[in-house]
Amino acid sequence: MRALHQRLAKLCAALGLALASCGSDPDLVVYCSLDQEFAEPLMREYQERTGLDIRVEYDVEANKNVGLALRVREEAARPRCDVFWSNEFAMVVALAEDGLLEAYDSPSAASLPPEMKDPGHRWHGFAARARVYIVNTNLVDPAEIDSWDDLLDPRHAGKVAMARPLAGTTLTHMAALHEVLAPGEARRFLESVERLSREGRLNLANGNAHVMRLVSEGQCAFGWTDTDDFHVALEKGAPVQAVYPDQGGIGTMLIPNTICIPASAPRKDAARRFVDWALSEEVEARLAASRSAQIPVRRGVARPAHVKGPGEFEPMRYDLRAVGLSIRARAAEFQELFLK
Amino acid sequence: MSRWLVLVAASCFALVALGPTVAMALRVQVADLAALDLARGAGLLWRTAQLGLGAATIALVLGAPLGWLLSRSNLVGAQALRALVLVPLLLPPLVLAMSCMGWTTWRGGLATAAIMGVGTYPLVALYVARAAERIDARRSDAARLAGGLAAVARVEWALVRPVALASAGFAFAFAVNDFAVVDYVSSLGPKHPVYADDIFASWRSGNDTSKAVAAAWPLVALTLLVVVPALLVVRRSPLFSFEGDFRAPSRVDLGAWRWPLSLLMWSVVAATALAPLARLSWEAGGGARGFELATLGQSLSKALANGRANLQASLLFALGAALFCLPVALVLGHALARSRRLLALGTTLVVLPLCVPPILHGVGNLALWNRPETAALYDSGWMAVLLQAGRYAPLLVLGVAAATAATDRRIEESARLAGAGPARTLYGIVAPLLASPLAGGAMVVFVFALRELDAAILVPAANGTALFRLYNAVHFGRDEMVAALALWICFFVLLPGALWSLFSKRNMGALP
Repeated sequence: MRALHQRLAKLCAALGLALASCGSDPDLVVYCSLDQEFAEPLMREYQERTGLDIRVEYDVEANKNVGLALRVREEAARPRCDVFWSNEFAMVVALAEDGLLEAYDSPSAASLPPEMKDPGHRWHGFAARARVYIVNTNLVDPAEIDSWDDLLDPRHAGKVAMARPLAGTTLTHMAALHEVLAPGEARRFLESVERLSREGRLNLANGNAHVMRLVSEGQCAFGWTDTDDFHVALEKGAPVQAVYPDQGGIGTMLIPNTICIPASAPRKDAARRFVDWALSEEVEARLAASRSAQIPVRRGVARPAHVKGPGEFEPMRYDLRAVGLSIRARAAEFQELFLK
Repeated sequence: MSRWLVLVAASCFALVALGPTVAMALRVQVADLAALDLARGAGLLWRTAQLGLGAATIALVLGAPLGWLLSRSNLVGAQALRALVLVPLLLPPLVLAMSCMGWTTWRGGLATAAIMGVGTYPLVALYVARAAERIDARRSDAARLAGGLAAVARVEWALVRPVALASAGFAFAFAVNDFAVVDYVSSLGPKHPVYADDIFASWRSGNDTSKAVAAAWPLVALTLLVVVPALLVVRRSPLFSFEGDFRAPSRVDLGAWRWPLSLLMWSVVAATALAPLARLSWEAGGGARGFELATLGQSLSKALANGRANLQASLLFALGAALFCLPVALVLGHALARSRRLLALGTTLVVLPLCVPPILHGVGNLALWNRPETAALYDSGWMAVLLQAGRYAPLLVLGVAAATAATDRRIEESARLAGAGPARTLYGIVAPLLASPLAGGAMVVFVFALRELDAAILVPAANGTALFRLYNAVHFGRDEMVAALALWICFFVLLPGALWSLFSKRNMGALP
């Protein structure tokens, strides 16, 4: 019995030491909701280049970036995060409006288009994803699809999909439609989506990646997704094509990554240097060349042939800040519509 | 029992398990409560309850006969079946759903209920098996003399029915608190939104947590309403007494029914326990592009190489949580079992962390521990241990309480009369008596901590786990590597139970 107690005590001591060592103090803490798969190589490279010990904390896909934004908010009194790299902008705008972000006019941001910058330099947008239709070319001719409301077309009943607009880029997309369409039009569209879903004529997936899978596997003919998801399907050899809708109309929506420094970040110098690097043309080019095929927001940034660039399609004109500020109210509105 | 020991254990439990919930509850604002859309909420809650009832019914229909047959009959391979039946319960629910959806195109609310029922029927089977083992042999002998096998089944069903229904209540509680499976399964066809969906959406869409906490209370109340009475029923139905001369029942000879029933039960367990693992193995070996053993081997090696650090972190945190819970659960579980006055209130408090949506438990931990005075703790791996211990300590406490209730109080009284103090009695007499339930319960905490995701999402130290990596990888489709990583997680989840089955002759006895 005594020997057992001694062994248990040794095990507990070893475990305690191992657990305590999990929390060594890094040189920089980055909260990153860009998908781990895409961000990891970049972070590793930055670490090797600078010799800094960087701790990167990722969000899970199910959280759609909210987990990290919430942590920045919850940790405001005792901040841990030095840089928040978000894969979209709405939550970052909300953090900025609540005074939780530091202004930093990075020299790397000089070449960014004005609409990608917060006037107060609290956040900057770069490397975007477009909201496109992913179309299974075995099931439907992509030329038949060109408008934001094609999901409602009775010819495609039961064979179309989108993610529920309760989070992530789909929520942001639908909030932006409320800004750019005539009053009431976006609301009527969503009411139709909800009705068709109830009738089994439109499929509400649990995320854009799921829409991509449904279309890739031929369970649906087409649906809304993001370009990074589309490129993964393409890379896997699925019979798919992307349609950039509303060319000549409201345009195709672009959703940029955003980067910011929390107001009370503990390691501000390291954070600024990281932001300078992340906003550089080099990183935008790397993101364009990666599997996520992010679209550079600056002209002249190197990108592979399969990644469209500025000027190659008509982007939706909308105010990032206005959409970001409306996101909470829209989310509550959509929640009432879709969760009943 | 020393009041000081109980006080220390209760304080540890209150801080780690109840503290996050209290921290969250304190945030609820009256305005958020007033703003709750009760009509919409009631509709969602009703649909959720229907889903829970469906899952509980399926769990009952599959689990009750299996449990009785496992413990009371000469079913072929009962020992192996008893170990295998645990598999669906231990697999992460979304992994189970993903594998099931690979086999069928069935979708919607019924399909969700079926998956949740399949994931929880082992609970009913285990509870019924335990209850059936405690039926006095004389009762079943009398029934057999009066009316043969049919009479035995009728009499014994009447005796185990409360336990079967109560354990179906646990299945109900599991089902109503899940939203990921419902969302995943109803991605095609009509959507089937549930109440937990609404809580998660409130949390995701808000910039503060008050609304989500306010939205959570009806579901917490519904879960408590089912779980607490179910636990009390389970606790009060020992079916035998140490005061009397209990005789263990002998196994019933199924006669001509032995092989058909064995075949049926093996089919049920194979379809629910082995098919998901087979599906993952098939995907890891190349799947639709052509299965090859070499590909399977390569995928497993690659997944291990990429996810080694994550698997190590998962194992470390889970082991830490299990060890942390052991002394607390021993004291608290024992006290709970021996106190008649505090049974209902104590059970409610102990079970509360399990009835709170996990995401709120995660945010609660942030609110409770992320402060200057606990900064070192918050930034270390201990935070992940506390998070998981807080969430799953109730399982071990309730397991110890149930095991204590089934031990003879007179043994402790003798020790006390012989001059042993409370601490010595507890660790020298009670702990060895409860060695199996303690080890089994710690194993349960280990396994649940290993598969935890929702609560761990927010806590930085817990972000390096294998399940976290898996869920991120699943985002871009289920390639070979993703399936292989899921297989590694399943391996470590199932390993302790498998080792126990292989090397221990004692019943685990870890059921609450």
